[in-house]
Amino acid sequence: MLSYISGIITFSLIYVIAAVGLAIFTGFTGLFSLGHAAFFAIGAYTAGILTYFYDVNFWLALASGGAMSGLVGILIGYPTLKAKLRSDYFAIATLGFGEAVRVLLENLEITQGARGLPGIPAETTLPVAAGVTVIVLWVARNFVHSRYGRAAVAVREDFVAAEMMGINLFQVRLLSLVFSAICGGVAGGLFAHYVSFIQPSMFTSYLSTQLTASVVAGGMGSITGPAVATVIFIAIPEVLRVASMWRLVAYGLLLVAIMVFRPQGLLGFRELSWAGVKRWLTLGKAAGQGRG
Amino acid sequence: MLIQTLVTGLAIGGIYALMAVGYSLVFSILNFSNFAYGSIIMLGAYVGYYLLMKAGLPLAVSVAGSVMGAAFLCYLNERMAYSTLRKRNAASLYFMISAMGTAIFLENLVYATIGSRFYAFPEIITQQNITFWGASIGVLDVFAIVFSFTAIYMLHYFLQHSRVGIAIRAASYDMQVCQLNGVNITRLVGWVFLLAGALAGLSGMFLGMKYMVYPTMGWITNKAYIAAVIGGLGSLPGAVVGGLILGVLETLVSTYVSSVIRDVFSFSLLVVLLLVLPTGLFGKYLEEKV
Amino acid sequence: MDILRLEAVTKRFGGIVACKDISFGIPEGRIMGLIGPNGAGKTTIFNLITGVYSLTAGRIYFRGADITRLRPDELVALGIARTFQNIRLFRNLTVLDNVRIAVDRNLPYSFGAALARLPSVLSKERAVYRQATEYLAALGLSGRAGDRADSLPYGLQRKLEIARALALKPKLLLLDEPAAGMNPEESAELARLIRRIHGEFGLTTLLIEHHMDVVMELCEQIYVLNFGVKLAEGDAETVQGNPDVLRAYLGEGYKRAGN
Repeated sequence: MLSYISGIITFSLIYVIAAVGLAIFTGFTGLFSLGHAAFFAIGAYTAGILTYFYDVNFWLALASGGAMSGLVGILIGYPTLKAKLRSDYFAIATLGFGEAVRVLLENLEITQGARGLPGIPAETTLPVAAGVTVIVLWVARNFVHSRYGRAAVAVREDFVAAEMMGINLFQVRLLSLVFSAICGGVAGGLFAHYVSFIQPSMFTSYLSTQLTASVVAGGMGSITGPAVATVIFIAIPEVLRVASMWRLVAYGLLLVAIMVFRPQGLLGFRELSWAGVKRWLTLGKAAGQGRG
Repeated sequence: MLIQTLVTGLAIGGIYALMAVGYSLVFSILNFSNFAYGSIIMLGAYVGYYLLMKAGLPLAVSVAGSVMGAAFLCYLNERMAYSTLRKRNAASLYFMISAMGTAIFLENLVYATIGSRFYAFPEIITQQNITFWGASIGVLDVFAIVFSFTAIYMLHYFLQHSRVGIAIRAASYDMQVCQLNGVNITRLVGWVFLLAGALAGLSGMFLGMKYMVYPTMGWITNKAYIAAVIGGLGSLPGAVVGGLILGVLETLVSTYVSSVIRDVFSFSLLVVLLLVLPTGLFGKYLEEKV
Repeated sequence: MDILRLEAVTKRFGGIVACKDISFGIPEGRIMGLIGPNGAGKTTIFNLITGVYSLTAGRIYFRGADITRLRPDELVALGIARTFQNIRLFRNLTVLDNVRIAVDRNLPYSFGAALARLPSVLSKERAVYRQATEYLAALGLSGRAGDRADSLPYGLQRKLEIARALALKPKLLLLDEPAAGMNPEESAELARLIRRIHGEFGLTTLLIEHHMDVVMELCEQIYVLNFGVKLAEGDAETVQGNPDVLRAYLGEGYKRAGN
């Protein structure tokens, strides 16, 4: 029972890491990605291949997974973000990108195609996942509270005005993409060393959807909101064993409902804090309406 | 062989063009990427299949039913998922998320209720060939080409000559001015989604006949998005040209190189194009109006 | 010497000519007015100077250097700042954060340092906070620092836009209808404010304005546009006496009434 619970927590934390990365990208910078699972996959395969075939140290492999994802992020971000294009171009490019990565994974020799990589060492334990999560949350918080975080928000709010504040649109968008790609890659690496077996079919649009749903439901412009939402979305259905098909039906409906009725999500433009939780407990629901 | 490939390419290109035009039509008015379009296409194909195979209606009636059904669903999609956002003047990011939610919802609803089975149209429709200059050409391909172009021409005529069409074109330049001039925007947007949905129904029908009917068949709209970018987002002639170019090039690649790298090819084409010609062939949406 | 020079600047949108063959210069330290009826192309000229639009033809020079093809953020770095006709604040952010985003440009630190939140970052952040509050004080916005930008009344939003532009430490400030929607007292107060910051921050100012009292009060030199072409140029008296200008503003009826 204990191992079952710790398993669910570990699993949730891995997704929290990826969701925090996407929160920076979508929630703070205001860009939309439809293929974030690809970064997760690149991290998982890079780290997995390094430990599986080459006996590389786990931590080094994890870092390499993140680095490889970040590098690919630069490669796809450069052409799609360079010219001052509407963000739609980027979203469309990520669609093709996700597909292209899947096709490559299925056909490359080193990834062993659809058979995947069985028997990757199971190095990701609960303390490992928790440690990495804490680091990622801390770094993400630092990002948000720095000039780069403010620039990202300015770009999201009004990119024309942001440019007139001396902000280099391309630089900010690319930095935020690379940051979220690295988060996705690290999460993928942890995932590969948790489940010990990876194959291309694990990294479909289902995963991208789950991450996007977490970020949107958790709240735009918030880190803790998406983190909490991820735990809810991963852990609760896992415990309740809800049929995955209906889960996705619910996700879709939820996304639309949030956009229509509560676009700020659970914690839009706010963060979870102890003071806030206390206030909420004492004032009941009224505080939850607050700003936003 | 080459003629055959070209005809197939043009047929696929024609379907891409249909989808890209439908997508661009919405984009040019509401300025966001309607990622739910693929699922409307998929539902259109299911409606057409049901009418033909289960209700036993003639093919022409089934196609018409699919067109009308998809038009209605597309309209409903706007009313339920976008109209509130439109009235709130939400950023395009929120529209895109809502559209993606719609796509996930519809696709998985079909999965959960109808199931993941692939439904094929009878061979009498899909496997007919005629011989032309020594090349064996699919009748379905010829029909796809003819119907795509007729539908696109009809849309073009509608936009050029009808009152609603002219209002749509005006709104694509400046929605606010159009509203100030007394155009009912809600009704106008309704028209746009009906038209886009009609094109979705037609393309869904042809896609279903060509590749079978199944819940994730709408994903092929990725190609329509890429085609629209090639032509220049929001440009209808661009969408047509982009669709044809992509369809023909893809077919050439899968025939003469490898069908596996076809999807990677279209993605690379997109990336290269964005580098060389960021606005696409007929692009006009690069400079945001300030 | 002219701090800014436009040479034969032309902008076309498809078939529409937004401005055609515009040439003028602004001597350093002056306040210059850019006036003309609605749709004359005034804001287009601002957008061309600040790199929001790219030119169809012509050249723009800033302090002698060709800036025709530069990006907006590069122009800001050279010392050009602006406000917007249709206020473009970061509406969901606080008043303080709006100014902080502008101040950030003057106190840079690296991305790596930001992620690790090194001590140097903390001291820079404190300096950013200090400077931002100073700019708010200079525009009389100190009391509203914690409020959301879109909760401010209209007049204060315009002031916040000016505070934000000043925080970029510009040499040339472009103000796009700062007195729009203000009553005569408010616009007179705004004129005094513009005059004060113009001197205090050592600016050259280019002003688009419809309130003629503000323009006549502030501008040593005026450039008049109509339908994207130059109509007149000179000091306030010359422009006011120009029959073409009167006709453009008052319509064709002026001619008959005048004669």
